[in-house]
Amino acid sequence: MTQTEISKTPPPSPKKNKILVDFLGSMNLAVTLLVMLSIASVIGTVLKQNETTQDYIIKFGPFWSDVFNSLGLFHVYGAAWFVLVLLFLLLSTSVCVTRNTPTFIKDIKQYSEKLSLTALQHQPNHTTFESNYSAEAELQHAQTLLSKNGYKVKTHHRDDGSVTVAGLKGRWNRLGYFFTHISIIVICLGALLDSNLLLKFRELSGNLIPETRTVSLDEVPQTAWMGPENLSFRGSVNVPEGQKTDVLFLPYEDGYLVQKLPFTVEVKDFRIEYYDTGMPKSFESDLILTAPELDKPIVQTIAVNHPLYYKNYAIYQSSFGDGGSILNLKVHPLLSPIENAIDLKTSVNKTEPLKTPVGRFNVEINDFRLFNMVPATEEEKAATGKKFHNNGPSMVFKVRNEQGKAWEYDSYMMPSLQEGRWFFMTGVRTMNSEPFRYLFIPADGNKQKDRFFKFLALVNNPVESAKILTQSFPKTDQVEEKTYELQIRLMQQLLSLFRSKGFDGITQFVNKNVPKEEREKVSDYYFSQTSFALQSLYLNTLQQEGKKVVQDQDISDFDKRWFEDALNALNSLPHFGPPMYFEMKSFKQIQATGLQITKSPGKDVVYFGSAMLIIGVFFLFYVRQKRIWVNIRSKQSDDSNEAKSTEITVAGRDKKPLPETETEFNALVEAIRQPVNKQTD
Amino acid sequence: MHTNSVTNEFNSSEKKHFDLRNIVWAIFVIASSLIGWNQYGALMDYYEDSILAGATIGLIWLGVTWRSFQPAAVAVALLSLLAIYTYQSHGNVISANEQAFFLKYLISSQSAIMWMNALFVLATVTYFFALYQKSEFTGKVATSMVWSAAVFGLVGMMVRWRESYIINVDYGHIPVSSLYEVFILFVVITALIYLYYEQKYKTRTLGGFVMLVVSAAVAFILWYTFDKQAHVIQPLVPALKSWWMKIHVPANFIGYGTFSIAAMVGLAYLITSKIAQKNPESGFVKRMPSLELMDDLMYKAISLGFAFFTIATVLGAMWAAEAWGGYWSWDPKETWALIVWLNYAAWLHIRMSKGWRGTPMAWWALIGLLVTTFAFLGVNMFLSGLHSYGTL
Ligand code: HEM
Repeated sequence: MTQTEISKTPPPSPKKNKILVDFLGSMNLAVTLLVMLSIASVIGTVLKQNETTQDYIIKFGPFWSDVFNSLGLFHVYGAAWFVLVLLFLLLSTSVCVTRNTPTFIKDIKQYSEKLSLTALQHQPNHTTFESNYSAEAELQHAQTLLSKNGYKVKTHHRDDGSVTVAGLKGRWNRLGYFFTHISIIVICLGALLDSNLLLKFRELSGNLIPETRTVSLDEVPQTAWMGPENLSFRGSVNVPEGQKTDVLFLPYEDGYLVQKLPFTVEVKDFRIEYYDTGMPKSFESDLILTAPELDKPIVQTIAVNHPLYYKNYAIYQSSFGDGGSILNLKVHPLLSPIENAIDLKTSVNKTEPLKTPVGRFNVEINDFRLFNMVPATEEEKAATGKKFHNNGPSMVFKVRNEQGKAWEYDSYMMPSLQEGRWFFMTGVRTMNSEPFRYLFIPADGNKQKDRFFKFLALVNNPVESAKILTQSFPKTDQVEEKTYELQIRLMQQLLSLFRSKGFDGITQFVNKNVPKEEREKVSDYYFSQTSFALQSLYLNTLQQEGKKVVQDQDISDFDKRWFEDALNALNSLPHFGPPMYFEMKSFKQIQATGLQITKSPGKDVVYFGSAMLIIGVFFLFYVRQKRIWVNIRSKQSDDSNEAKSTEITVAGRDKKPLPETETEFNALVEAIRQPVNKQTD
Repeated sequence: MHTNSVTNEFNSSEKKHFDLRNIVWAIFVIASSLIGWNQYGALMDYYEDSILAGATIGLIWLGVTWRSFQPAAVAVALLSLLAIYTYQSHGNVISANEQAFFLKYLISSQSAIMWMNALFVLATVTYFFALYQKSEFTGKVATSMVWSAAVFGLVGMMVRWRESYIINVDYGHIPVSSLYEVFILFVVITALIYLYYEQKYKTRTLGGFVMLVVSAAVAFILWYTFDKQAHVIQPLVPALKSWWMKIHVPANFIGYGTFSIAAMVGLAYLITSKIAQKNPESGFVKRMPSLELMDDLMYKAISLGFAFFTIATVLGAMWAAEAWGGYWSWDPKETWALIVWLNYAAWLHIRMSKGWRGTPMAWWALIGLLVTTFAFLGVNMFLSGLHSYGTL
């Protein structure tokens, strides 16, 4: 009896701290901890972690964000109390294992073959029957039967002459317990190795202060640098094509640390491939890793899911960006009376000072995009079968004046088709919050902007335009010298008014200077005059192109549409910010690959633990520990000529009683009942 | 599984694993995977070769320990071959779907999946009908519906796998990558595991309850298809292009499936015990399996699920280490997997140590399903993270 009950009750220990141990090793604590961990994790997923303080204040208001923060709810998984729960689970499991070890070991070794008959009859399953085979035969039979079915058997001859065959099966189940639970400990230790405890310690001891500014490396103070002593980290770094790095940036609290690497990574090339949907298909970087201890550098291409492993470091493809693409720009002064665009060779992330007649400006080149995938229109889909189409290269830049006011531009290199006509699009805005307002410059016959800037210069040029106007509206004898000049002057003034303020400018002028009753008449007149003027300038432009156009009829439909589009463009120029147009002539794209580099000594420990866990779980579930006892005693009968009969008691105990236990036991009894000779053929 | 062999441990009738049928089965499986390998081996890397080998062994084992699986598997193989062959002969998918009768109405992945959906819903109703009119025959009909639904589902997946390559070799991938695809995986796996238990415990009365979950999933699939066009085959994002997906996802869904079964058995348990309290003589109680059996079934299902969920989570961690640079990033999906896992670990402990049985554990299993559902679906709907596949 006592021996079979061991599996649960812990060994009696007289120590005082037994209570504590019992508590730590108690299943209640275990379950409580498991549940606590789950709840903490839930919080961690519901509250977005590691965001900026501002975002939290916006979300929860100053008060609650403060409360949550002090509870560590914004960094749950790093919070002291969370780590504490983990440690308790670790402790509890260890205690539990150490406590159960002796008894479970016994349980594995023990056959309990010495159990008394009464003890057998107290087992969950037991039965007694008679057989008229000899005790020896039955013994033989029982032994073979049990061992044939995978039981380890141990036979015990009792003093009373009876024999007990004790069978034990599935002892690995206990091993399963050790595996699962020790694995938990192993995994926790591995995770601990990879945690940033060291950093936390150094921070507490004060010689670690994360850097929060974005400054160049040499300005980062030593207190934010990490050396080889940091035995586990996970950080990222952007490396432009053709450049190399031997440092890494570790995000830490609301700043970062700079990790010195014992090797140098050079990025030869970075590539993105796209599906025909315009969705990225693969990101690849060609790397060259050099280290003092390497006599030959490692050359390898990494991609998502295909990192480069070196020693206990791993280098991953994690993101990408612009690495300072070189851009050749043409800057068109929009107010100049002559075409005198200047060339500007610059690159992304550079800032170019510009001195112009209208003041000093800084041009900040922010980004370059080689592809701009936009959803295709229905007819495009029908034509090409592609869901997206590519608007070609674009650059994003800011123009900042001396007062610090900035205009942000999003400018496309290629013209794109709008309502069947080609336009060069440039978006402008003065606040990130607002969407870009686009300027559409109509492309001329050979898909360029030349005509537009010629025309613009002409409109800007009072002298030239005066000439042209006098040519196209020659003085007739009826009109007096004076009125004629006034006429021409008016046209010029209207032109400059239109140029500086657009058509609205003219309307406003009229509203300001003309008495109400005459306004309509006057503005009609002004507008007609303005368009006369513009038309004649346009005609001149066309003639300069060598087109034979004398009056309107000669103008092709294309050129007519172009004129209207050009007027729209001119009309919106006043709202385009500083009078400069940046045209992208050519570019050399230089991408930067975003590498993530990790050193995690705990990884293999964790994997080892995981393997143990899996094996252990299967042992626990699918190996059942079962015991069988067959007690055989020959029945003394006083009457000698009567055949000697044997009495057999079969008892069984399943560590984890299941519904099938009963049937299995009965099957066993049946098998033992079978006449021996049947068994032996 | 184990219990099968253990149950008839002592009957000389067992140990006939090597009879002719099983040998034929083994040969069939090996042959088909060899054919597959020689057809598509060029596209496979070393890991995928070993996955194929593992799958072959696994299938042989499954068929041997669960014979009824063999004919189903053969049916799946033949139908899929027929579909793939028809595509071959028609060339491009779109036209093939229109022209070929078989594809259009039966076994293009879309039609096959629609058949699956219909059959699952029908099966649910039929099971309850059988329970109501105590008809053995109706029950058999329901069972065969589930079988054929599972077959259609598997065919649908096989064909979809091929279709993804026909549409564009670049797109090609095993259909376990999008939320739509894994939902199909989920219903098929759940149904198969249920069928196994149904046979083992010789009762069809639980079918209706289990099929409730499956039908719910089917409802989702239909909504997702018609409202969101989710069935359209999309190329993979770079992070998902990995052989890990082929083992991580299925392992996960064995877990999800068994947990759902456990929960539904728990539901059946609760209802039965409630009625039993009112009047123990009620016909319903008599028809339902014994409470002990249901309790045990819950335990078996959850332990199977726990085992596979453990594997899945570990595989997930290993994949994460390769794709995201860390085996654990506390990404919402990861974290919820942990939550589910801890929850069932606690369930098992209580049952082990406190020896709790019946009602409380049934309730817990039901709640467990809520947790699991959130991990499976809620995370994609409400929480953003690195697991960006299939959002709603
Ligand atoms: C994350 C932590 C843990 C996991 C994943 C875990 C897992 C398991 C599993 C799967 C079983 C088998 C249950 C069954 O056979 O039905 C088990 C059993 C058990 N666990 Fe844990 N366990 C954990 C922590 C603990 C802790 C902290 C204790 C200490 C109180 C503990 C004590 C036990 C005991 C005593 C058994 C029964 C073993 C037997 O009799 O076969 N476990 N555990």
